[in-house]
Amino acid sequence: MAAKKRKKGGISRSALVLTFLILALAVLVIIFFNGQGGEKVKRGAEAVAPKARTEAKAKPVETRAVTLFFVADDDDLLHKETRTIPAGPNEADEAERALAELIRGSEEGLSSPLPARTRVRQVFIAKDGVATVDLSRDVAENFAYGSTSELAAVYAVVNTLVYNFKPVKKVVFLVEGAERETLGGHVDLTRAFFPDYSLVAR
Amino acid sequence: MNAFGRGFDSRRLHHHPTMRFFRIVRPAAAALAAVLLFAAAPPARAQEPALRTVVIDPGHGGLESGAKGRFGNLEKDITLAVSLKLKALIEKGMDFEVVLTRDRDVDVSIENRSAIANNHKASLFISVHANGAVQKKAAGSETFFLSLNATDEETRRLAYLENNSSDLQSRIDPSTDDDLMMILWDMAQNAYIKESSRLAELVQGELDAMLGTRNRGIKQAPFKVLTGVACPAVLVETAFISNPDEEQKLASDDFQNKVAEAVYRGLARYLRKGE
Repeated sequence: MAAKKRKKGGISRSALVLTFLILALAVLVIIFFNGQGGEKVKRGAEAVAPKARTEAKAKPVETRAVTLFFVADDDDLLHKETRTIPAGPNEADEAERALAELIRGSEEGLSSPLPARTRVRQVFIAKDGVATVDLSRDVAENFAYGSTSELAAVYAVVNTLVYNFKPVKKVVFLVEGAERETLGGHVDLTRAFFPDYSLVAR
Repeated sequence: MNAFGRGFDSRRLHHHPTMRFFRIVRPAAAALAAVLLFAAAPPARAQEPALRTVVIDPGHGGLESGAKGRFGNLEKDITLAVSLKLKALIEKGMDFEVVLTRDRDVDVSIENRSAIANNHKASLFISVHANGAVQKKAAGSETFFLSLNATDEETRRLAYLENNSSDLQSRIDPSTDDDLMMILWDMAQNAYIKESSRLAELVQGELDAMLGTRNRGIKQAPFKVLTGVACPAVLVETAFISNPDEEQKLASDDFQNKVAEAVYRGLARYLRKGE
């Protein structure tokens, strides 16, 4: 009896272990493929801008103009610069591209107020007019902000979004997917921002 | 240490379902709270605290260095040096207790900075900073107070508090519901915008007279450290550490003394006019 019981126990235990291993493998496979998929999607989104530009002559790609806000050397204001980006499929995609261009920098000798390593993780535009911008941690880490540069960084993003995309009325920031108090100890990131065009050169 | 005497985490509260509810009914709730608080407040506040307190906030600290200069000077070190000098001047020349939000190189969360001011029933709050810009040429001194532009419309609707409140602190009953208190603290500074603007103007005038830097004037910005402070509050950007010339000035004892003296004089003028 005892031996039988032990044997039974042994079988069910090894069955359990086997099931667990299969499950673990399945989970790993799912994670692996999801991870890759995510990467691919992101890389795809990032690659769209430059690719579209080179192919523009061959295949006509629908484009739209956006106005970006950069800083100049000789004053403390934000300066407008127009850029052409691929259009659609929706405004959130265009907003992501516009911000990527803002980070990439000026083509007219101005400077971007955002750290060059920053990636745009996502822009989400809600029906109530609030755009949520999720930036990679590089926007806040290993970058020493003063009040002036922090204000410029925040309002370059806010102004770019509200100025170019009609549904956007206010902008909320996330850093690496999470709420953050400030970028560098100054500007309150926990509230939604209205644009501030008083910082823009006329 | 915080304004509520227990865990204060605005992020947690923002996600809290009641918080979402309060966002919707915020204007109504706060109006109701104001009425209740008026009713609860004693008719006359005869006793003024004998000793008044100024809270000086040396910007940044610890792991958080703030802006950096080309010669390696850090904003956090300059703000502390200036704040210590300002503290000495006030204690010597005025009938004020001075509390620093930090007196050495340590991290202090922004929420704790305003909580320190509120817990000490501060009469004035002065945050000391050194500026930084992408442009190396950017230079000068400026004084900030909180902008209402960046706060939600609901808080603007509550601007009537400005007319009715000389002391928000005394009107917040400790037994008030936590969420409600959070909302009231959240907009604490709104009641003091006029006074903060006057303080900024006077401090900036003295900075301009004493420092020989470019006068960038007084400005409004949504600075986190100012939002929760329940008294007139300003943030002084002494000069640009990102500008090599001004960085060297900021690092010098002489210039730091001048900054402290200028803020002290602005403070003195503010108090003279206010009394």
